[in-house]
Amino acid sequence: MTVIAVVVFLAAYVLIATEWTHKLLAALGGAAVLLALGVTDSEHAFYSGDTGIDWNVIFLLLGMMIIVGILRRTGVFEYVAIWAAKRAKGSPLRVMILLTLITAIASAFLDNVTTILLIAPVTLLVCDRLGIDPVPFLLAEVMASNIGGTATLIGDPPNIIIASRSGLTFNDFLVHLTPLVVITLVVFVAVLPWLFKGSFAVDPAKVENVLRLNEREAIQDTRLLIKCGVVLLAVFAGFIGHTLFQIEPSVVALLGAGLLVLISKVPTKDYMSSVEWQTLLFFAGLFVMVGALVKTGVISDLADLVGDATGGRPLLAVMLILGVSAVLSGIVDNIPYVATMSPVVLELTKTMTDPAHSQALWWALAAGADFGGNATAVGASANVVAIGIALRAGHPITFWEFTRKGVVITAITILVAAPYLWLRYFVLS
Amino acid sequence: MAEDFPVVSLDSDAQDAVELLASRRLPGLIVVDPNGEPHSILPASQVVRFLVPSYVQEDPSLARVIDESLADRVADKLANVTVRQLLPSEPVELPIVNHDDTALEVAAIMARLRSPLVAVMKDKKILGAITASRLLELVTAPH
Repeated sequence: MTVIAVVVFLAAYVLIATEWTHKLLAALGGAAVLLALGVTDSEHAFYSGDTGIDWNVIFLLLGMMIIVGILRRTGVFEYVAIWAAKRAKGSPLRVMILLTLITAIASAFLDNVTTILLIAPVTLLVCDRLGIDPVPFLLAEVMASNIGGTATLIGDPPNIIIASRSGLTFNDFLVHLTPLVVITLVVFVAVLPWLFKGSFAVDPAKVENVLRLNEREAIQDTRLLIKCGVVLLAVFAGFIGHTLFQIEPSVVALLGAGLLVLISKVPTKDYMSSVEWQTLLFFAGLFVMVGALVKTGVISDLADLVGDATGGRPLLAVMLILGVSAVLSGIVDNIPYVATMSPVVLELTKTMTDPAHSQALWWALAAGADFGGNATAVGASANVVAIGIALRAGHPITFWEFTRKGVVITAITILVAAPYLWLRYFVLS
Repeated sequence: MAEDFPVVSLDSDAQDAVELLASRRLPGLIVVDPNGEPHSILPASQVVRFLVPSYVQEDPSLARVIDESLADRVADKLANVTVRQLLPSEPVELPIVNHDDTALEVAAIMARLRSPLVAVMKDKKILGAITASRLLELVTAPH
């Protein structure tokens, strides 16, 4: 059974990484084969968070997708982005910095794909008005999105998986990862002029075109905006106090989504169309496959192997997880990577005597996987979405064009994360 | 049923083609290949789609933030463009019918391909075209 679980898992992983078939088909196909061959069963696959589908992850994503689907109808994001571009007074570098910061902050609270879907059209508009190439701007934004999404539990799907497996709270992410993300963003913004050197020349006559954009027109429904604002505040209060209230973040998100649906009166078809059902089913398939590895003892053996390789030295284990995660997340989507590695890290944490070191392992996994998503064009879903939008706008971004910049940013961000983890959890702890 | 209909070639100037559409208020144009055989139908709605910037198609709320003077210049995109570039990037099935097809057959082709007109063929030659409004005129006429 162990051999079958490993072979099916690896085959599905190859299909997901190479995109020879649709990733949903690979994940659900792999899960179906494991169920059909009896490697796992319905009890383990559907009723156990450890060896099957983690419903907290699925429903947290579902709730947030519905909330974001309604929120994006308000036009608030477009308002803020255009307002910022006008405040930059048409300076391309200032526009890039402001838009990347907005993207990073929004990505901490919305999922990265949604943030890119919202920011990319505004970016194309501003660059079109300025008569400059939008590609460097889109690249900077998608990378900022992957960095910003690292800051919170809900910012990036890998973080949701990590939170569910580790039991770490929304506040734990705020306290431990947000400072790292703030430092990383400062460094990221500082290297932008160098990274995209030569991209900031503009015809002064075209600056007026941006200043004439009317951001107030982007707000479509002020009452809906107020309702969304109130519900979002309540949801984030729920996330922050979820341990106090004894409710899971998934329940908070579902309650928030339900409340917003009730008071917004948005038609069912409209908010349900914003739910990415393929992504949710992909997660379900992944969880069943990884669950089969847990059930057959493969994950435990893998954790022992990592433990032996690091000789029980926590710092080495943390740095290994950080580095390996950054590299592998660039090669395969960071979601399947984290879904697989989370149980491994969970096993490793059981061998740690110092709780600070256990937490450091989780933060290394989060930082490595999230920052590593920037390395290549296929490292994170947001990258693929940004490239697609650029292509439709007549500005194709090649795999290598993305990767040349992505590898540099991944290296820089990992070089920021490594001393942060060392200092905070080993030197100052 | 078929009426005479203007045709344009793949390499015709887009500006000229669009002026033809506009001046005669046509629902679309028949596009022919270098051999004079029908290549595709260019619906007027496709031209409108071409003129709308991709970022507005991705996020229609952005149409409102652009001021009138900038919005009026959308037709500038037609400069130095050929009809070929106006056509959808993905090839679509050609809406053609035979000269002896019934009104229902014509309607079926129009409905299936969501085309505002179909080219009418006889022996690989274009006889003309049938527009949706012409078809409706025929089927609603008293017998």
